[in-house]
Amino acid sequence: MPRLLLLLPSTTYRTAAFVAAARQIGAELTVASEQPSTLESANPAGLLTLDLQNPGHAADQAHDFARRHPIAAVVGVDDDTAVVAAHVAERLRLKGNPVPAAIAARDKHRQRELLAAAAVPIPRFALHLLDKDPRELAPTVVYPCVLKPLRLSASRGVIRADNPASFVAAHERLRAIVAGCDTAFLVEEFVPGYEVALEGLLVNRRLHVLALFDKPDPLDGPFFEETIYVTPSRVPAGLQAAIVQCAERAARALGLVEGPIHAELRYNERGPWLIELAARPIGGRCSAALRFGEGDVSLEELILRQALGMPIPSLQRERQAAGVMMIPIPGAGTLREVRGIPEAKAVPLVEDVQITAHSGERLVPFPEGSRYPGFIFARGDTPAVVEAALREAHRRLAFVLT
Amino acid sequence: MSQADIGITAEPIDEHRCKFMVSQPVHAGGVRRFAAPEEATGSPLAEAIFAIPGLAVSELIVSGNIVTVVKQSAAPWQAVGKAIGGAIRSALASGAPAVAAAPKPSAAAGSAVDDDALYERVAKLFDEQVNPMVARHGGRVELIDVQDAVVMLRMGGGCQGCGMADVTLRQGIEGMLAQFIPEVRGIVDITDHTSGANPYFQAAKK
Repeated sequence: MPRLLLLLPSTTYRTAAFVAAARQIGAELTVASEQPSTLESANPAGLLTLDLQNPGHAADQAHDFARRHPIAAVVGVDDDTAVVAAHVAERLRLKGNPVPAAIAARDKHRQRELLAAAAVPIPRFALHLLDKDPRELAPTVVYPCVLKPLRLSASRGVIRADNPASFVAAHERLRAIVAGCDTAFLVEEFVPGYEVALEGLLVNRRLHVLALFDKPDPLDGPFFEETIYVTPSRVPAGLQAAIVQCAERAARALGLVEGPIHAELRYNERGPWLIELAARPIGGRCSAALRFGEGDVSLEELILRQALGMPIPSLQRERQAAGVMMIPIPGAGTLREVRGIPEAKAVPLVEDVQITAHSGERLVPFPEGSRYPGFIFARGDTPAVVEAALREAHRRLAFVLT
Repeated sequence: MSQADIGITAEPIDEHRCKFMVSQPVHAGGVRRFAAPEEATGSPLAEAIFAIPGLAVSELIVSGNIVTVVKQSAAPWQAVGKAIGGAIRSALASGAPAVAAAPKPSAAAGSAVDDDALYERVAKLFDEQVNPMVARHGGRVELIDVQDAVVMLRMGGGCQGCGMADVTLRQGIEGMLAQFIPEVRGIVDITDHTSGANPYFQAAKK
């Protein structure tokens, strides 16, 4: 079987799903991480340490490894490893995104420059240095606006400001959050509207829409913690087509050609707006909400099959509606106990309640934090009943913090 | 030896399975597994545990100083642990061997996979190779059982709830088992990863 190089950072939620998918399709698997596995010496063909912080170096390391163990495909699972995967693919002449495209998808400012140049509808934006006095910037900004870090994920550090005073306060918080990581930040026009997420797979430049998720909870700020994703979307069909077209134009503008994309879009009376696009699949454990074909194919299996050039049985999502709730961070403190899990699991249509935070873990609310304490999954006949089940299950959970 | 000298620590694995760690060896002759009361005849410890009223023991595994009890009753381990501990203490305090040596396998069964023999080999591999390695991340891997050549294990310490636990399991342990004990047909991880209090790698969204 061909060998797959899977780039799994040690902090990803995606390990189990991708490893299971690789086993499902029978691929020879090499897992590469930025930290050495304690068992690496026992399985040198299956476990590899790469310098994921330095994509060029990682590509050299992968090249050396491939001399001993030829690699047929490389897959990254998150924002950072998508860039590394592009470097490795280029170095080993494998299928993948061009390096500049992967970098553009990773860097929010570069992304916006390319999208604006291609006339993709995006909020107005400006790049500012973090060490510039926010009191000087504040009067020049159009309100409401959103301050965004350039590279953080999961809406961490994203803050809405409605006036100069809240801009200055938001700037202080953002500067503390990205301290040492970034020297600049984005100020973006706040676009009101209903938000959706598009999960797609690019195959030779063509976008195949795998799912369009509604986000029924308003994301109006001041912070942008996500909660419920439900698919299929209840957005009118014509508007869905416009949303898909917008995402497709964005992927093309960035130069992405292969593999998964996850796009966040809004729409209002002026049409769809591209908010973010990433060259990776949906984050967290949310992919468990997606099944394809007869319901027996995971999103990860599709991604790996496409990377390896294996036949893809179906890109059609199952018939049932499905949803996931990223459980909102219940407050700041140390988690002692989660009550009501059996009761939440007992809600009709709820398939699973996964608590990923552990007892004794410090929970940090948005915008400083971004680690959800768990996930709830449901399936049913309609998006409405799925959404209701997720809300009811969440209502039955009680987080005890000290 | 008096019963009071025998220390026992109960470590429930799930509602059906509990390990009892005894302060002295219970059976030094490898692993012995009892799947029915008839098989316990001649082994006083096993006879006594199978005879505990209402426990509905379905399997008993004795190896070294560990006694693993598998029960079908819904009674919580806190409620039945004392009776099991008493049975272990009585058997050991009598001075007679608590567990008889394993019967020789019949010629007809010679070609079948011997789970007890596999258990011993897997336990040795875990003790000598796997655990010293995962200990570098504060982890440990515990052999719970081998049934029909499928290894049931539980991860603890830094491995429990670790974001890379599946990699350790599938790319590490499974590969080592395939290399050194190819008769093993699979692995089942029964770890409650949500209860891991100190995972070595912790996941975060995206």
